[in-house]
Amino acid sequence: MRRLLPFIVLVVGVAALNGWLEQRFYVRVLTLTVVWALAGVAWNLMAKAGQISLGHSAFVGIGAYGFTILLRGGGTSPWIGMALGMGVAAVVALAIGLPTFRLRGFYFTLATISFPLILELLVSHYGDPELTVPFHPENEWRFMEFSDPHTYVWVGLAMLVVALMISELIDVTSFGYALRAVRDNEVLARAVGIRTVAWKTAAFMISAALSAAMAVLWVKAVLRVTVAEEVFGITVVIVMLSVAFVGGVGQTWGPVVGAAFLIPLAMFLDDSIGESVPGAQELVYAAALVLVALLIPRGILPAIERGWRWVATRPGRSREPEGRPLLGRLAVPPQRPSPFLSMSRRPLRPRLPRPSDAPVLEVEGVAKSFGANRVLSDVALRIDAGRRIGIIGPNGAGKTTLFNIITAHLRADAGRILFKGMKVDRMRAPRRYELGMSRTFQVPQGFHLMSPLDNVVVAAIGASIPHPVAASMAMLERVGLAGRALGELSALTTAEIKSLELARAMVSEPELLLLDEPLAGLNEAERARFFETVDELVTPQTAIVVIEHSVRSLIQYVESVVALDEGRVIVQGPPADVVSDPRVIKSYLGSRWMEHVRDQ
Amino acid sequence: MVEFLQFLVPGILIGGVYALLASGLGLIFGVMRVVNFAQADFMMLAMYLSWALFAGGVGLDPFLAVPAVFFVFLLLGMAVHWLFIRFVIGRRENHDAQVILTIGLGLIFQNLILIRYSSEPRVVAPSYANAGDFIGDIFISRVRLYAFLLSVLVAALVFLFLNRSATGRAIRAASENWEAATYMGVDIDRTNRIAFGVGVALTAVGGSALVTFQSITPFVGLRFVVVMFAAVVLGGLGSVRGAFVGGVLIGVIQSVSQVWTSAAVKNVWVFALFLLILYVRPNGLFGKAQRAI
Repeated sequence: MRRLLPFIVLVVGVAALNGWLEQRFYVRVLTLTVVWALAGVAWNLMAKAGQISLGHSAFVGIGAYGFTILLRGGGTSPWIGMALGMGVAAVVALAIGLPTFRLRGFYFTLATISFPLILELLVSHYGDPELTVPFHPENEWRFMEFSDPHTYVWVGLAMLVVALMISELIDVTSFGYALRAVRDNEVLARAVGIRTVAWKTAAFMISAALSAAMAVLWVKAVLRVTVAEEVFGITVVIVMLSVAFVGGVGQTWGPVVGAAFLIPLAMFLDDSIGESVPGAQELVYAAALVLVALLIPRGILPAIERGWRWVATRPGRSREPEGRPLLGRLAVPPQRPSPFLSMSRRPLRPRLPRPSDAPVLEVEGVAKSFGANRVLSDVALRIDAGRRIGIIGPNGAGKTTLFNIITAHLRADAGRILFKGMKVDRMRAPRRYELGMSRTFQVPQGFHLMSPLDNVVVAAIGASIPHPVAASMAMLERVGLAGRALGELSALTTAEIKSLELARAMVSEPELLLLDEPLAGLNEAERARFFETVDELVTPQTAIVVIEHSVRSLIQYVESVVALDEGRVIVQGPPADVVSDPRVIKSYLGSRWMEHVRDQ
Repeated sequence: MVEFLQFLVPGILIGGVYALLASGLGLIFGVMRVVNFAQADFMMLAMYLSWALFAGGVGLDPFLAVPAVFFVFLLLGMAVHWLFIRFVIGRRENHDAQVILTIGLGLIFQNLILIRYSSEPRVVAPSYANAGDFIGDIFISRVRLYAFLLSVLVAALVFLFLNRSATGRAIRAASENWEAATYMGVDIDRTNRIAFGVGVALTAVGGSALVTFQSITPFVGLRFVVVMFAAVVLGGLGSVRGAFVGGVLIGVIQSVSQVWTSAAVKNVWVFALFLLILYVRPNGLFGKAQRAI
């Protein structure tokens, strides 16, 4: 019901307006509002993953040209043209998405700019810069040639509802979790088994297909002629950006609110003063973008939500017992994990069994340089099931770099890594996680826009755990964070964040656990407690590697120690031997340590 | 061979101007990590200013107007930074806001100019607009040569400024390591403001170098956006020197491509090269690899 209500409001609202409005201009405004809401919903699918595309006019252009060419060539129905155009747009999205999604941050946005520009130049030069859409009055539905302009609104409304349902469905399944994880912290998402490139590509393809579908309606209902400069043009992207950002970027219902607000405003302004002030429409979009950027960067919906929460929680006012208002409900991504999650699971990927004689992890001859700076040379490491190894060494010795190479966050220049006897050098981070490798981070990482529970749920989804929410909740209970499950990440203490990192790493039931300075920032009592918690969570078969500067705590926990200095293993062996080795004392522990040892 | 040179030489000449346009964008990104999508529209505004100074009764030669253009846009850039940009710099969450803010500002510039001057193309044609010299068989246009020399001169002055003056060093320090610079007592807000002003002014000067052979419309910036980004990315985002080299390369590719394909699609080559660089060497030809975490 909670999710159904906005659909009812939308359908009833548009239906009422469509029945009531008579004048052609007003129907046109309504049509374009629906068309651009649809375009914004399509664009916003990418924004769910935090990807700002400036190239969606490529797909709009493909949709528009595709159906026009087919209609002109063989009288093909625009419906079939639409379906084919959607397919082509999705394939093009796949082709340009795969290389582009390896790029992070601004690079993705920059890369997308050039696609429509290339297509527009090629189409204009080698094809037709302008194609008229032939008139086929003989069959209204077959040729989408409606004599009553209201019919276009009905068609557009149906398409919009379908697009919104797709968007909602993405939100509540692991698809949505993956996209939100990417937006929040892509490196972490990959570390917990989210195949970021695959999910982003899937979202891009759906987004492209919907954009192509929108183009057919736009041309048939409004433009009536396919002009390369217009359908591939930057204005298409500007309007998509505007409606999405004004309503709420990445929010399913954002573009609907944005379009309902901006499109009529722009069109009425253009109608009244457009004669004397060309560019009045564009100024509306431009001003909206600037104002949103400065005042409410997440858009109207979240702003309303925040405002409502402020009003509702003011002293002297009782908290709303029956949930939040309509718009607020649309605005927030579900705080409680969605019940759809367990329905949408693909079958658990079978983990390859470990050959009984093979060690869990074997690192051989690993080397890594950053430019001229050699960080690791010829590092070897071996750990059997159920063992615990500590890694010590001064800052810059290459400890974290070694972890990054083991988990595929960095690629080694030389050497090989065997996990459970299997060569994993060519596997990327999510695959290694799926196979049973988990880690925590030196600088604790988190999905800051999610609740602590959802942080763990993402990791459970990444490991294809059958009931991700239940498993995550159970894990939070075991680390003592059950009471914090639905709060805000920023409210957690350092110790709680460390526990959350541990819960996130353990929910996949890993066979290899890599802990990067887990005790940093913890007080004496918390330190003592931490390794106890780890031992409660692991199985006797779990192999554990710990990087830690708190050597005293470390050597009580691990069974052997590897000392790194300047990227080389200088000593390894039983803890007592390593920490009394003169080379380790000289390079790392210092003479004070000797006094400490002597005192004991 | 002669045909090739006949395209290569103007390519290098226009590339010098692209280099100047791009170095402004590169400077701003290097210091503030802001991709300024309005940069090409500042260029457009500068072209209109040059046109107004030339055609509007003053009759000022566009090349002589350069100091005026520089200072006007230095101030305009600083004002825009103070009024808008400074509110969206810094944190990662602000990336979206930076993108839409600068796109919005560019759009506002375009449409205000459209309202004031209409979309009619404007040209600046000084008496020597069609003059040129032959070196061997190669024709060299006078205005393009001037534009190139001007760009090189301004670029040299910028290098001096960045390397010799205290402010320039602060800017370089901030672009190298923002946090460390604050510890050394660099006033980041002021540095950003000046860097934004200088970055805008550099691109503006590039714009006024273009007016003698590029007609001016409110939307002329759109043609140059990707050219500028391509140059900046080619040279490595954030490197002014790299942006300069990238600009020259883009000019050459754009021009020499006309040996094989029509001039109408010369930018396809630029865009394709831009994508190729992003895919193959996203840190640019001279960029450094970055750590993962």
